[in-house]
Amino acid sequence: MKILLVEDDDLLIQVLTRSLAPYHYIVDTVKDGEMGWTYGSTFEYDLIVLDVVLPKLDGISLCKRFRAEGYLTPILLLTAQDTITAKVQGFDAGADDYVVKPFNQTELIARIRALLRRGSMNPSPLLSCGDLLLNLSTCEVSYRGNSLILTTKEYELLEILLRDSQHVFSSEELLDRLWSSEAFPSEATVRSHIRRIRQKLVAVGAPQDLIATMHGRGYYLKVPCKEELAQPSTKSSSNRTATASDRPHSLDSAQSAKLEGSRSPEAQQQYLAFLNATWTTTKPKSLNQVAILAKVVQDLQANQLDLPQQTHAQQVAHKLAGTLGILGLAKAMHLARQLESWLGSREPLQPKQAPLMNTLVTALQQSIEETTQIQMSQILQEHAPLLLAVSADLAFNQSLANVAATHGIRFDTLLPDTAHAFITAESISGQPSSDQPFSDKPTFSANQQPDVLLFRFPTAPSDAADATPSVAQFNTLLTTLQAFASRYPALPILVMGDRSKLSDCLEVMRRGGKLFLDHSAQPEQVISAAVKLLRGSQKPTRVMIVDDDRTWLRTLPTLLKPWGFTVTTLADPEQFWTVLQASTPDALVLDVKMPQIDGFELCQILRSDPNWQRLPVLFLSVLTDPASQNQAFIVGADDYLCKPVKGVELANRILSRLQRVRAWAS
Amino acid sequence: MTSRRILIIDDEETIQTVVQFGIRMAAGWEVLTAGSGPQGIHTAQTGQPDVILLDVMMPEMDGIATFRALQSHAETKQIPVIFLTAKAQTAEKRQFNDLGVSGVITKPFNSLDLPEQIARILHW
Repeated sequence: MKILLVEDDDLLIQVLTRSLAPYHYIVDTVKDGEMGWTYGSTFEYDLIVLDVVLPKLDGISLCKRFRAEGYLTPILLLTAQDTITAKVQGFDAGADDYVVKPFNQTELIARIRALLRRGSMNPSPLLSCGDLLLNLSTCEVSYRGNSLILTTKEYELLEILLRDSQHVFSSEELLDRLWSSEAFPSEATVRSHIRRIRQKLVAVGAPQDLIATMHGRGYYLKVPCKEELAQPSTKSSSNRTATASDRPHSLDSAQSAKLEGSRSPEAQQQYLAFLNATWTTTKPKSLNQVAILAKVVQDLQANQLDLPQQTHAQQVAHKLAGTLGILGLAKAMHLARQLESWLGSREPLQPKQAPLMNTLVTALQQSIEETTQIQMSQILQEHAPLLLAVSADLAFNQSLANVAATHGIRFDTLLPDTAHAFITAESISGQPSSDQPFSDKPTFSANQQPDVLLFRFPTAPSDAADATPSVAQFNTLLTTLQAFASRYPALPILVMGDRSKLSDCLEVMRRGGKLFLDHSAQPEQVISAAVKLLRGSQKPTRVMIVDDDRTWLRTLPTLLKPWGFTVTTLADPEQFWTVLQASTPDALVLDVKMPQIDGFELCQILRSDPNWQRLPVLFLSVLTDPASQNQAFIVGADDYLCKPVKGVELANRILSRLQRVRAWAS
Repeated sequence: MTSRRILIIDDEETIQTVVQFGIRMAAGWEVLTAGSGPQGIHTAQTGQPDVILLDVMMPEMDGIATFRALQSHAETKQIPVIFLTAKAQTAEKRQFNDLGVSGVITKPFNSLDLPEQIARILHW
């Protein structure tokens, strides 16, 4: 914690620095009001202590100046004037507390500490992260009850990390906050401190990466997932899927939160970086495997392929598909899978099949060669909302699939009979499907749990001859719908049917349908209705996008719409403040390179305004170099994405940023 | 806090590495790896993981044979096993179910999602 002390009385300076020392605060001292302003406006402090009577600029005026310029740092005034008027004047100037000289040292320290706590997000004198505990009152740090002996700097470093465990601290940031302005430490200093704390933590049993490094970004505390205290003995119970009654049913909330956190942009980025690093070594291997497959195709063409060779090739294709799949290379994986399935046929392949195999191998090779970089969108896809349609109308399903794809919504269909079989089988077994790995399709695993359901009811035929099967179909579908609705009460269900038949309509709603669309509704309408349901009653999220590329600005709102964003676009940064204030966005997306002002400057200005200090800012730029990314985080960005970006990805990143802000604010 | 220990048995090294990284990152769990059935059985005996992720299709000793072997050893009998498979046909899943595996996770998957999937299947 850094404190700026503006005081001209040497004796008082001595007393104060001495009494603050045990608390590991860093104190910068200046002796006049002007210097106070210079320091306070240049460096970041957690608290400013001002004497009222000061040379050059008095404490009250200085306090007013800080507040007028938007500084929110807590300010404590020290004064000899113990009158109500003087106190009121002080508070009016924007001070947070007021202490009259001569003061009781203990009281002053207590007030300083209270102000520091108020300034931070954590009002408790205990900071913790998993088993790591830091007591601000006693300055003691412990891990699982084992206390750690830390130096002042190590303590301070840990305190900063603990105060905002959501945050990744760059070395510069830590230098700024931990070392007084007179010291000139380097980043290596931060590194060596981190190393020493890690050693001490490991010595008391903490994981090596409790303080984790995010390459190129900085350090953060890795929040460990919380386990149930009374752990059910996993090993002694049956190793079949446990029934709902013998284990706690859901993930414990801290663990879910942690798992949610694994989808944070940083985690995804880091995971992606790892995949890309893996890909550089895997790519040549994969190409070798393709070469083996190509050779097999040649042999097949020459009618020289025997069954053992074919089996071996099948294994190669299988391994290749597995590798490509885990790296998120879906297209190449599907090609490898197709090859695997051809090679896996019981009958030996015939030379006439060689051309087809050859096409597959060539396409696979090309796909692998073209992949220089795995993209974020390739690994994020499964987080896009999934619409599951129960419909026998194949033509409609197809057109709906196309529209869904353009909106970044995943789409899957289920024939009414399959849906019925699925849900009834499930009801009988009494297992919630998300935990039931052996049910018929769809397996509602974590990735496949739909976010919205669509039931398409058959149209009633006009001639009476067909009426009976149609009624039976209708009723079965109704039962299915009801079963789904009771099994997944939170899942919104959209129904398409004959709106003119009021009784049907009513029946559907009674059974759990949320929205009824007429049969004639176009796929576009269906998707937009689904999106509305997905959004629920949530207030739309307002996003403001500043970019001088007007074509891009025109397409973005469409891309972001399915996620319920209201988008304000701005091509002229000169209008920035006016539009920002008028649209009061929940998140801001900035381009870096713009004609009048660059995005970094804009972000920096924004961050200096107290009203906008917490607004999530995401940069979206064609600049892919680490320096630009680094610069973005230095000026206060929350995330950085490179163009071109898919709507899905941008939406995910904005949403995840907002979730964090909300989690933080709550 | 007790951390979980996962063993992944898969003949594809890339999958081992990515799964290890993903699980560690997402949940901080410890991940042991093995590249074949016999090696996996040995690691399971010595490492006593909380769950085994077992690739079904492996050359020589496949997932099913490995699972049977694990079941026949007293030290590994109680460890829940989740199959990793690319083909998730209903018939095949039934067969796995009858064998007594705890669940199936279909490839490909995002490794960051694995801890959640495992936790769901095993009701952790």
